[in-house]
Parts: sequence; structure tokens; C-alpha cells
Amino acid sequence: MGSEAASIATLADGALARVVCDRSADAAAAETELCRRFGPRVRLYGLKHLRDRAAADDLAQQVLLIVIERLRAGEVRDPDQIASFILSSSRMVAGSLRRTSARREQLQARYMDYAPATWTDEHAIDAARIAPCLAAVSERERTILLLTFYAEKSSSDVGRALGMTAVAVRVARHRALASMRACLENRRRA
Amino acid sequence: MTNVRTTCPSFTELADYWTSDIPDAEIERIETHVFECAGCAQLLADAEQLTAAIRGIAQDGHFQAFVTDGLLNQLARDDVRVRTYALDPGETIRCSAWADDEVLVARLRGNFSGVTAVDAEMRLDSGEQFGHSVDVPVREGTTELVLALPATMVRSVPVGLMRLTLRASGAPGTNVIAEYLFDHEGAHERPSH
Repeated sequence: MGSEAASIATLADGALARVVCDRSADAAAAETELCRRFGPRVRLYGLKHLRDRAAADDLAQQVLLIVIERLRAGEVRDPDQIASFILSSSRMVAGSLRRTSARREQLQARYMDYAPATWTDEHAIDAARIAPCLAAVSERERTILLLTFYAEKSSSDVGRALGMTAVAVRVARHRALASMRACLENRRRA
Repeated sequence: MTNVRTTCPSFTELADYWTSDIPDAEIERIETHVFECAGCAQLLADAEQLTAAIRGIAQDGHFQAFVTDGLLNQLARDDVRVRTYALDPGETIRCSAWADDEVLVARLRGNFSGVTAVDAEMRLDSGEQFGHSVDVPVREGTTELVLALPATMVRSVPVGLMRLTLRASGAPGTNVIAEYLFDHEGAHERPSH
């Protein structure tokens, strides 16, 4: 079972999708691997477009249920394009999620739960780790980070508020994010 | 193994995905790539965690920064308890932090004409430096700067006068724009009923 799982994990996405289509003995393992690979990506898509963690989790769950259902039924025309199929499904479901939540109950009644807890905030950065890194960037950069990612202001809006051009704001934001990332990495190693 | 068909975006490009000023075509390009590339999907998740952590720390009021009314409005929407003091140059104001305050805001009014950035220094009555900010951007025409501090930090300050001095950036020593005095009365508990 261990080597079987390992060999499934090395398959390309298209090959993995074909195993699910074929309904062979490895199909269940292939389904799990497909969900492990794409669940977090669909969830990220949901975080961007639905702007809510619970809704993003719902999206990931629903999209994977649909994908597995379509693969099992042999309704995915080109399994080698599975990534593209999942992205299209994410777009479609995100649109309908904004309108209704009824389908989730219907699908969950028919299929297993494909959303393990490991998708969700597995690597969340706690305040104690990030606070010193935010304090270490320059005053200007800290204001830009807070206005961008907390107040959700565009570069143009931030620029207007601080007397900077939008381009200068983006450059400062990139520099600040690079510093923050390096700082977090150093603290993780320490 | 996920196939990669297009060039990998940089970490900062992926971080831009989480901002409100990324064009639709760029969003589509990143999403198409990330769905095909496991490495970039992980990098996008890292960028999301970083931006979410910045949001979290703001929401908890655990930051010190010069901010805008837009950010204060967001704190209000998030029900963050903010106590505000407004001061004119040379003014002394009695201030204190209550146990349930999360953020303290000082609205520092002044004449900032001709100044593009300031340095801010806070000193306790003892002369000990309490905080120092360099190169705080000043928008043309602005008449006040808004300093936000974590209430936990303010509560730890000893009772007594605290002096905040603003100087034009790059002109140390004499070029003082304004001074403000906070007569800190300490931390207060609300009476229980």
C-alpha cells in the first residue's frame, strides 16, 4: 500500500486523472492524491474571489466533488488538461456559490468529505512571529503594507494618501514583502 | 507531478495577486499557472499566509504606524476599540489607556507645508527614548499626521509626561516642526457593576 501510494504521488496530473477515469484498483488513491494536490489551489482561488475562509473551504469541497464525479463518469474530455478543467470548475462554482449554497448539501449526501483539515491554514503565521518582522520594516513600508493588505487600498489610493506615485508604492511594497519573508525565514531557522 | 507550461511568477508577483490593484488579465495568468504548477501554488499559499498575518496583526491592534483615516475606518468596521487624542503643536494633553482599549491614536496637527517626510521621536519624562520613526511620508497639503499605537504598549508606559517631537526628515537637530506633550495618567480599569 505504501509503495502504491508513493507511485501514485509521482504521476503527472493527467496520468492521475486517467487512473480515476479508469476506475482501476488505484482509483481511490488517485482521487485522494488529486484532492491533495488541487484542494489547496482551489481554496486559494476561493480566498481571492470569495474573500471568506469558510466560503473558500466550501468552494474547494464542491469543486473537488464535481471533478471526481465527472472523472468517474468519464465526462472529462482530456484528462491531460485536468488543471485547466479544475480552474474552469472553480470559476463556475465560485459564481454559483455567490448565489446559492444548496448544491453542497446535495453533493455531500452522495460523496465523501474531500476537505481534510490540512488544507486550511496549515502554515498560518502567528502574531508573535510576524510582529517583530513588521516592526523591523521602515515606517513608510509598514504603512504601505497595512494600507494594502488590511485597509485593502490600491497602490493609487495608497500613493495619494502618502504623497507617492503608484509605482513607488508597488516598489516599496515589494521590498517590504521581501524583507518580511526573509525575516520570517530567519526567525524560523533561529 | 504537476506539469509547468508557463514561466513561474516571482513571490512579489504572487503577493500582488492578493492586492486590489492587480489587472484581470494578470489574475487570469497567475491562476492558470498556479493550477498547473505545484511549486507556485505553494508560493502563492505562502504569500497568502503572509498577507493574512499582516491583516491579523492589524485587526488585533498589534502595530505601531502612521496611518490614514481609511485604515481607522477599517478598524472601526472590525470593531477594534480605538481611543483617539488630537493635539495642536505645543499642546499638553492628559491621556490614559483603559483596559479594553486596543489601539491608541494621536492626531498630530501641524503646519507641514514644504515637508515631504518627517522623523518622529518619543521620549519619556526621564529622557529615555520610547520610540523613534524615520521617514514618515507627508502628503502635500496635509494638516495632521495620525499615529496609531498598540494600547498594550501604552499601558506599559510609566505615569508622567511623554514628549513627541516631529522633525523634517534629513534635517536632524534644530529643524523641529512641532512638539506634543502627553500627560500619561496610566492604565485604567473600568469599574465593575
